[in-house]
Amino acid sequence: MSATEDQARYPFLKEASSFVERFSLGLKELADYPGVVSRAMEWASCGLEGQIFITDPKDPETDILAYPLALAFIYGLKKEWAVNRFATSEQKRYDGLLRLEPDEKLARMAKEGFGWELERLHLSVEEKRFDFAMGVREYLDVAPHFHSSEWKLVNRYVQGGRVYIKKSEAARLLSGAVKNKIVKRASEEEIKKFEVPPVFDRQMEGLRAMAAKRGQVYEEGQVMVDLAEARPPCIVAIINDLSAGKSLSHMARFALTAFMINIGKSVDDVLLLFSNVADFDAGKARYQVEHIAGQIGSKTKYSTPKCDVLRSFGLCVNPDRLCEEVWHPLIYYRARLGELKRGKPNA
Amino acid sequence: MHELVVEEFRKYYSSLGTPLLAVREFRQRELAFLQFGEQMMIRHMAFRDEGEMKEYLTFKTPAHVYYSSAYYTRPGDQNMNRKGWTGADLVFDIDADHIPTPCKSDHDTWLCLDCRSKGRGFPPESCPRCGKKRLEAKTWVCEKCLATAKGEILKLMDEYLVPDFGLDLKDIEICFSGHRGYHLHITSKAVKELSNDGRREIADYVRGIGIDFGLQGFRALGKSDPLIGPSIRDRGWRGRVAKALYAYLNSCSLEELAQLLNSKQAANHIFKNKEKMMRGIAESPSWWGGISKEAIEKFNRIAAVAIRDVVCNIDERVTIDTKRLIRYPNSLHGKSGLVARAISYADLESFDPLSDAIAFRGDPIKVYVKDAPRIRLGEEEIGPLRDAEVVVPKAMGIYLLCRGAAEPRL
Repeated sequence: MSATEDQARYPFLKEASSFVERFSLGLKELADYPGVVSRAMEWASCGLEGQIFITDPKDPETDILAYPLALAFIYGLKKEWAVNRFATSEQKRYDGLLRLEPDEKLARMAKEGFGWELERLHLSVEEKRFDFAMGVREYLDVAPHFHSSEWKLVNRYVQGGRVYIKKSEAARLLSGAVKNKIVKRASEEEIKKFEVPPVFDRQMEGLRAMAAKRGQVYEEGQVMVDLAEARPPCIVAIINDLSAGKSLSHMARFALTAFMINIGKSVDDVLLLFSNVADFDAGKARYQVEHIAGQIGSKTKYSTPKCDVLRSFGLCVNPDRLCEEVWHPLIYYRARLGELKRGKPNA
Repeated sequence: MHELVVEEFRKYYSSLGTPLLAVREFRQRELAFLQFGEQMMIRHMAFRDEGEMKEYLTFKTPAHVYYSSAYYTRPGDQNMNRKGWTGADLVFDIDADHIPTPCKSDHDTWLCLDCRSKGRGFPPESCPRCGKKRLEAKTWVCEKCLATAKGEILKLMDEYLVPDFGLDLKDIEICFSGHRGYHLHITSKAVKELSNDGRREIADYVRGIGIDFGLQGFRALGKSDPLIGPSIRDRGWRGRVAKALYAYLNSCSLEELAQLLNSKQAANHIFKNKEKMMRGIAESPSWWGGISKEAIEKFNRIAAVAIRDVVCNIDERVTIDTKRLIRYPNSLHGKSGLVARAISYADLESFDPLSDAIAFRGDPIKVYVKDAPRIRLGEEEIGPLRDAEVVVPKAMGIYLLCRGAAEPRL
């Protein structure tokens, strides 16, 4: 594979950005290259649609230039979920590509893109084979965003500040690091102030229309319906425990209450859920639920704790396909609502 | 607080050598103080150097002194968002209060605020009589509690931070908390920029939270074949699990096993074969024969109990937080009058907080004690006492006054 082709596939590499710089083109000038603009549009819309963009091996130069423009379009939409979705689709693209690369190349790209020292080794511990060791610190920059228990540090082979991983895991972590980088940049002042130049008004209009259709799933503030089938497994488990008369931890109560309030349930609806509990104290419960709903006290409406927190409290149970893609129970709920509307049966 | 105590605190700070107030990157830390008898903390303070801080401490004589685990570019800014967070130490807090030691029944009491039931020892989650949860606990510490806390700190360092995380002892600062436990501050660059999520993973790691024994090397080779498992020689959690299971099998009783597995038959089977199993676990490579695939679920249950002794009892909230205020090393604790002494690893083993953290020497003082259990401080031992007037060494007197268990008699 040629070096140029690599730069098109892996825009996080330094060579890719210096390629763009060599042309010393501003975003505005890219408008003069219709091929680049249309590839950028494709790349951005693939991201919004949750599809994986495939770079063109016959014309890597166009794609190298198209990437920064696609990213600019996404940041220009000014929607957190759009950035997240684009970044997730990029993560998947990298993951698929990286796991096919030879070990040395993977290690080299990790070093170049993120300064990670992937130490190559061939170590077998019992039945498990490891291909690399990496720093705990770098591992923890990315792995907490993954959800299954095999990514928890406690379930890894850790020694002397290094975590032992397989090649496929290295690819996943590296692609996760790219995703983090894309998401993190969105909160930087420079990107917050950034506006896409008016020459791209037509493209932005197209993307905005696409985003408006998609956005229903991700955007907050809309009235939601309570559809039991769309609830994430963690919330379902808490409700099951509750109806089985089990006593709930403080965190479980909080998570359930905040979830119900955030999908639009009233304080009374939520109280009804808890009324079967053995130690139910109506007055106290109302006070607490109203507090979480932001009706009293600090007047802040609390959001549901995110997946990471629930996992830490042992409340993340039976994660399913959709859980792998989201980081928050409410996002799961909105996404699942959308799927149900489109007739997708199982999560 | 009584003038006597305030005056003694002032003397302590005025004669304190400024090098003892040194913390890494002092100028990037937020400082906070709580005055005697006040509820509101004075926050968002920052000083140019330790000398300036010493002056403040001598002049204001706070009961409690804290500093941020975080480093800021503008530590004195009132607005948290404008402080400019650049990183934070990774902190571990071990508090004897959270560890149910047997000695709790010697010195701790609790009272149900609803039905007025009383009890001794570690307070239950809810009142055993009325089931309500409004319990008021009166807790004290003794040398046994503090020894347990020290054991936890040593375990955390020797079993986790150094071998697993590869941390260098020079990057770990140890402090007695001045009252009931110890703090560890990891100041290494490698942890400075860790996010909450990353810190949570580390806290979960040392607490054994979220452990999945299926991912610790246990695996059935075939349907009815024997099980493959971790080896005692493995590093990290795998070795820990193997060792913990070995120790558990070694010491458990048949009744204990039967109760845990909810089956006499299964317990009998394991109990009968336990010598063989232990030999297998200790062999190289390890051999977990005798445990069939069907038994994995049972084995998981045993493993979950077996690791209780090897996990660390830390307060995870402190470790996860990237902007925590922590007691300042070598400052005085307003609820004990003891020094939150910074200790080197070499001295930790022999460190006796109830002697080595004593700040006040000099003439004995007379106090009236309302209610106190047996207390040892240095060479002096008193109590249990109730409604008694006693003449005690100054450190003991101030300890009782700070604890709110006594009043001065002049």
